Amino acid sequence: MTPLKTLRAVNFICQAPHAQSVSLVGDFNAWNPTAHPMKQGPDKAWTIAVELKHGHHRYAFLVDGALTLDPRAQGVTRNDKNERVCLIPVS
Amino acid sequence: MKKPTRTTRATAPRNTGKIHPVVIFPFSPPDDYSNLQELFGLVKRLNADRSRYARPLTVIDGKTHRAQSGNARYARFREDTVAVHSEIIDAWGVDTCQMWYTGLGQAWERGQPGDVYWLIPGDFNYGSPSGLEVLSRLHDLPEIIQELNQDVCIGEIVTDHCNSKQLIDTYGTFALLYNWFPTEAQEIREYTERPRSEFFAVRHEFLGDLLGRRWFAYEQTVVLLLQAIFSHKRISRFRVGEITDLLDGRESLASAVQQVERTERVLKTVWRELHQREPGWIEEYHALETRSEQIRRTAITILERLLS
Repeated sequence: MTPLKTLRAVNFICQAPHAQSVSLVGDFNAWNPTAHPMKQGPDKAWTIAVELKHGHHRYAFLVDGALTLDPRAQGVTRNDKNERVCLIPVS
Repeated sequence: MKKPTRTTRATAPRNTGKIHPVVIFPFSPPDDYSNLQELFGLVKRLNADRSRYARPLTVIDGKTHRAQSGNARYARFREDTVAVHSEIIDAWGVDTCQMWYTGLGQAWERGQPGDVYWLIPGDFNYGSPSGLEVLSRLHDLPEIIQELNQDVCIGEIVTDHCNSKQLIDTYGTFALLYNWFPTEAQEIREYTERPRSEFFAVRHEFLGDLLGRRWFAYEQTVVLLLQAIFSHKRISRFRVGEITDLLDGRESLASAVQQVERTERVLKTVWRELHQREPGWIEEYHALETRSEQIRRTAITILERLLS
């Protein structure tokens, strides 16, 4: 259970068929809205694969500029701005 | 006591201390020890990693030990497994949460600022395929506190909508919470739909605060969450997976009624302690109590229809 310092590719999927833009924000990119833009596929779902370090990460989707929770997230917490965000374990 | 105004969350120091596992041995050990063997497989691994974990504590109720006297299987498991991989604390508790109090209190006395305390209930089906998956995820609870600088992390089990725990929380716990603590109830629901979860981890500083307050024999997780919100603690919720209680009658209507009634009793006590110094508190209390009684009766009527 000791965290390893290796990276693992994690797929994020956001269902926002009518959105103009969606990006992934989190601790791992300093909540930068331009760091991880997501791409919309033929099924209208927005996806991105990101390499994350082992451990627990906070994240959310930015859907047309609005912070949006992932309904399939394994956990919920708050970020440093006290906004509700999601939790993902990487092991 | 006046409630503090809601501002930004209290900042706690980033944590690299030890994790103290506290195992609550099942009140009624099952005939089949496969679930306990899996659980203590985890305890064995934790005990072996002493750079990260303090020696686990296992709390066994005095009534359990007494009822098992003459049971060679229990005696062997206790001596050859539980006592080897953890320190046994024999305690006489009026209910499960008093066992939590004993175990977490003793662990806290051995800990220090920066440490994290991890409650592991023993009466779940850890031997099932989904239970094994849950066992593999439970370590996330204390690690979330350490890595993300949290004060408390609630583990949420996944159940279907007809599960008695889910029904009790939907029609009983939350309905009563919305009556007695409407603002806090809303915030609790933003984190979890299971405010009576037996899976959680808590930071040393917050546990010290909780141990110094009134501790209830039951439904202590609801109180923990209320206190966390009153004092602006950092709360996380983590889904640990699908797991169910070992069969011990918890599914019965009588048990559901008891759980709703005692939740109401706890909430009333917490509310009085919070407001009893305010002028005119008794009138407000009576109004809330009248509504609470209606909520409780409605909850029990619904549970009667769904569970009987």
